Amino acid sequence: MTSPCESVFSARDVTKTFGAFRAVDGVSIDVPAGEIYGLVGPSGAGKTTLIRLFCGLAAATHGEARLLGHAMPGDRRAVESRFGYMPQEKAVYRDLSVGENLLFFGQIYGMDRQRIARRTTEILSLMRLGDRVRQRADSLSGGERQRLSLACALLHEPDALLLDEPTIGLDPALRAQFWDHFHALSKGGRTILLSTHYLLEAERCRRVGLMQAGRFIAEGTPAELRSAAASRAGRAVPDMEDVFLVLTASSEGAS
Amino acid sequence: MSLRRIAAVAERVLRQLRHDRRVLVFMLVLPAVAMILFGYSFSGDITGVRVAFVDEDDTDLTQTLRDNLRADSAFRLAELPVGQDPEQLLLEAGYQAVIRIPDKFTSLYYAHFAMGVATSAQGRIDLTLDESDPQIAATVQKGLADALMDLGEGGPVDVQVKDLYGVEVRFIDSFAPAIMGLVVALISTVLTLLSIVREKVDGTFARVWVSPVRRAEFILGYVVAFGAVALVQSLVVLSVGKLVFGILINGSIAWAFLCVILFAIGSVGLGTLLSALAQTESQAVVFFPLVIVPSVLLSGMMWPIQAIPPLLRPLSYLVPLTYSNRLLRAVMVKGLAPWQEPVGLGGLLGFVVLTIAAASLILRQRARGAE
Repeated sequence: MTSPCESVFSARDVTKTFGAFRAVDGVSIDVPAGEIYGLVGPSGAGKTTLIRLFCGLAAATHGEARLLGHAMPGDRRAVESRFGYMPQEKAVYRDLSVGENLLFFGQIYGMDRQRIARRTTEILSLMRLGDRVRQRADSLSGGERQRLSLACALLHEPDALLLDEPTIGLDPALRAQFWDHFHALSKGGRTILLSTHYLLEAERCRRVGLMQAGRFIAEGTPAELRSAAASRAGRAVPDMEDVFLVLTASSEGAS
Repeated sequence: MSLRRIAAVAERVLRQLRHDRRVLVFMLVLPAVAMILFGYSFSGDITGVRVAFVDEDDTDLTQTLRDNLRADSAFRLAELPVGQDPEQLLLEAGYQAVIRIPDKFTSLYYAHFAMGVATSAQGRIDLTLDESDPQIAATVQKGLADALMDLGEGGPVDVQVKDLYGVEVRFIDSFAPAIMGLVVALISTVLTLLSIVREKVDGTFARVWVSPVRRAEFILGYVVAFGAVALVQSLVVLSVGKLVFGILINGSIAWAFLCVILFAIGSVGLGTLLSALAQTESQAVVFFPLVIVPSVLLSGMMWPIQAIPPLLRPLSYLVPLTYSNRLLRAVMVKGLAPWQEPVGLGGLLGFVVLTIAAASLILRQRARGAE
């Protein structure tokens, strides 16, 4: 487990370009242990690219992304067993059963069969998939497959979690369930960096980075963002979608 | 039924094809390439069979016979000094036939002509044949008969054919090793390609990539799986071949299996390599003919490489199945150890090293987020 004062995710002025396109543009971020940090913004804002930089799936063009104190992707090997990643796609093996998927991901993280079996039972019960262990992933519903995908990321009990749009496509009840899991994990000391384009979900994060066009247009706790929006709008802005609109408008005005 | 809606669906499909340039290129290029390859491959005569000519008699007549053989484009004739072991020439020096003219051939040849059919004296020629490719063996026998006919008056000549392997080799005997190679190549290449493309599409690739799995482990995992599949496939081919067709297996089955596994490793590398060029499963499917067509037409599987027109023949040596065929035929039909067929073994090892190295590079690029 990480000590509370150590930044689990940190980046200094990190930029990632694809040709002339700046997907992430000079972002700095620090996420201490146990925090749920939300990257919030519309599609194409640079959330996925930032998460991929922290995973080591992409290298920064400028600046540095650090995960658990290690530069990514250079030092990825030092931390690869300590974080879990859930890509935006429902990234599971469609032609394997629920149990076989978890077995594979457990094995590649070096878990022995006993521990995999124990964790499989625990995690499938948490995800309410306990009765689906023998069912093939391609016969699961979209929400069930998403839960399996999250289960695969959590199986090896990582210290840090990178979740790319984990609640996309889920119904409100299931979204609430997911957030309950996230808060339980956070209470247990895990650190979560997640992306979402559901602005209302920002409320559920400890802190939020509002992203647009690869940049942070605002960062802080939901209360801090509301107050920043209120001071710019000259009125109370209780709704997070309005907060985003106000802060976006003022950011565009400033630039 | 609405024509407008049918047209809308057709237009949408054509638009999708137009947007997928790789598929489009294949759609237009593949028929042309297939027609050229099939056309040339089917119309070719066998040429350039390596034949050793050992003349112990050395007379005007035997020199005429040598010149007749040399004039036949089917043969690439080498005149060798006397006293060499024909079997060694076939197994070690790469000749496909040895024609030996014994001492006194000329005198016996004319004696028969002078004395008429009553005499038992008759010119004799020893023909030692590598029958591991029956079509080549038949070409040599026919070519020699034609050359003897062209000698003019004299004869007949007793051509004593010695089967190198003790029994006559049938087409099916030399076809079985090729089928074994083809099946392994297809399954290993195509399934690796599809599997990796599917991992990309589904996002599991990224997930595996951030885990402790190394590039080498990833490739080796595929190699082990498809090596095992290749073994089972070979067992099936051999069992059916033996039980149903009674195929000839002169050599060691263990060696044959090792060669098949080697080929499966290279095929996994090729599948990984091709996966870099395909972003979707439908793009991947387009590569299948790229593996199948040259393998069937150019590898010496259906007809000897010597039957492929010289213009296309160099392409045969770019087809991995060519080397697998040579090696497996040498091991299974000729009963040789793999290293006694250096071209086949070297080609296959080269294929493995090249494809696995390239696959590894491609996976490294991907690991660096280059995709």
